[in-house]
Amino acid sequence: MIERLFVAGLSHRTAPIAVREQLVVDEDKLREILTGLVGRGTCAEVMILSTCNRIEVYGVAEVAGEARTAAFRQMAAQRGLELSELEPLLYAKDGTEAVQHTFRVSSSLDSMVLGEPQILGQVKDAFALAQSSRTVGPILHSLMSQAFAVAKRVRSDTQVGRHAVSVPFAAVELARKIFDGLAGRSVLLVGAGEMGELAARHLQDFGTLPIYVTNRTASRAQELARDLAGTAVPFADLVSVLGQVDIVITSTAAPELIVTARDVAAVLPARRGRPLFFIDIAVPRNVEAAVNNLDDVFVYDVDDLRSVVEANLRERQREAQRAEALVEREVEKFAERLRSLEVVPTIVSLREKLEEIRTTELSRALSRLPAADEATRQALEALSHGIVNKVLHAPTVKLRDSSKSGHGHRWIEVISELFGLGGKGRGAPRA
Amino acid sequence: MNAVIFDIALTAYIVAALAALASLVWRRDGLLLLARELTVAGWLCHTAAIVLRGVERGRVPVLTLAEVVSLVIWVAVLLDLWVERRSGLTSLSAFVLPVVLALGLGLPTGLRDLALEPRASSPWILVHVALVLVGLAALVLNFGSAIMYLLQERQLKAKRTGTFYYRMPSLEALDRLTLMTLTAAFPFLTVGLALGFVRAGRAWGRDLLSDPLALFSLVMWLVYAATLCGRAIGHWHGRRAAYLSIAGFCVLLATLGAGVLFQGRHGS
Repeated sequence: MIERLFVAGLSHRTAPIAVREQLVVDEDKLREILTGLVGRGTCAEVMILSTCNRIEVYGVAEVAGEARTAAFRQMAAQRGLELSELEPLLYAKDGTEAVQHTFRVSSSLDSMVLGEPQILGQVKDAFALAQSSRTVGPILHSLMSQAFAVAKRVRSDTQVGRHAVSVPFAAVELARKIFDGLAGRSVLLVGAGEMGELAARHLQDFGTLPIYVTNRTASRAQELARDLAGTAVPFADLVSVLGQVDIVITSTAAPELIVTARDVAAVLPARRGRPLFFIDIAVPRNVEAAVNNLDDVFVYDVDDLRSVVEANLRERQREAQRAEALVEREVEKFAERLRSLEVVPTIVSLREKLEEIRTTELSRALSRLPAADEATRQALEALSHGIVNKVLHAPTVKLRDSSKSGHGHRWIEVISELFGLGGKGRGAPRA
Repeated sequence: MNAVIFDIALTAYIVAALAALASLVWRRDGLLLLARELTVAGWLCHTAAIVLRGVERGRVPVLTLAEVVSLVIWVAVLLDLWVERRSGLTSLSAFVLPVVLALGLGLPTGLRDLALEPRASSPWILVHVALVLVGLAALVLNFGSAIMYLLQERQLKAKRTGTFYYRMPSLEALDRLTLMTLTAAFPFLTVGLALGFVRAGRAWGRDLLSDPLALFSLVMWLVYAATLCGRAIGHWHGRRAAYLSIAGFCVLLATLGAGVLFQGRHGS
């Protein structure tokens, strides 16, 4: 059962963007490809994950290669691409490797930015699309619901998705290490740089307010203030506003310092120890480095923020190792469960077969003994039950054990052959 | 018997402290959980040890310096668990437990058998001791949070995401905790010490000033009083307040040391 599971595709690891963008297909076309694959019997079950970083086919098929070729030929054909151009970029995994790949992808361990949260949603969308196209069967269903559960566990049990990996987010994270909660903190945004605005917006997401905006060009300040639902402040008042706000973001293109240590030192007594945090995203820097030496004042420039981001990335990588171990264990569990399911139909039909023999033979025997009293009948009944159970015992145990050690398939065939179970119990039930 | 149970409690605290520190360094939630459970287990053993000692001696077990220190630890651990639960400052125990241990490990070596039995165990002395020890326990937390503040402030100023960076609470939260613990400790300490001075002044007369424990307590009280005043006026906060808290705690340790080394009138 698990042997027929496969994943094939290409990702940011194997294919350049120039190829990946060629393969983007719209939802209707995807639906068509999915139903086509199942309709022609190439796949028993199939789903396609298509994001800007990966295009992958997840499915269940007797011949995985055939299904992969068919799926990618159709997607390539959209932009007139030949399959032979894609072939060297494609990877294919089956069995437990496919399970592992599925779990790793949905847990964002295979993502370009380790631990980014979007991928799980994209996998869920792909699954939903396949479900609505009726190309999902029991195997993909249990694989995907397990993948979602694993992704959730990775997120909650490890910190692979924690800690900011972009400069504006790193600034917000630092602010939260200084201030006890950001709700109600006031922010001064100096200059109209894009990254500064982004940082201000992130801070707003955490509930900071109000926002003051200032710029050398008053009209630009007003415009930005309107965008951020803030208040524009004349540039000349910059220093006096420093006394009131908690966080200052500077991102002007000014060639000289606009905030000096002397300016800040002058407003400190009035702040009575409230911390002041400068996020200086400008290059050249807008805030004098010596400001950081003042009590309760913290200055982070772009380089400082980048080094925080790098440290956070290392932290994510460290956590990813734990996540990999977790995925490994889950793959093992899932494979075992799938394998134990694989022998169930054979066991059932074996039991049915013997039961059928037993009842036929029992009634034949009883018809030859019309004088038999109730006690004799019961004894015969018990005898037949006993024989059937004894006969069933060894093959049942053998099947269960072999499924655990991964040889289920072989024994299913042997036992089906020996007991003449016909096609009924052989292999897995078709989806 | 109570000593054996006390040792079990102490061992639990030691492992809990190590686990709490390790959880900070390696950022593992499992270790944090282990530390929490061991702390609770240790505290329950500790409670049993205190009760047993009372039963074995047939009196309230707060009459020797060893017993007082043991109770200070007991209250400090309780406060630590309570503060962590209420405020979510989970890394506090990594800084409080080692202090608790330093105090606790002093017991077997020097303090445990030191008899400081006062002549009369009047109820006033019990109140004096009880108030002072609650104050001291809160000051243990005060010291722990001051250390945390300084570490975190240093990391933020140096712009290094060091070992402790990821698990530390915010500076403001730590500063508030330092203030809170000091504010909580101070009334207990003040009333407790005042009661002691009044009682001792009546009983010992001028000898009061030659008692080292009394003298050091006074110095300790002055340092903490100064810190609190400084904070109230608004000049001393953050790093400066943290340094003062640490200085105060050093005097506190010296006071306990003085109680052990020079017995003075407290021991007679």
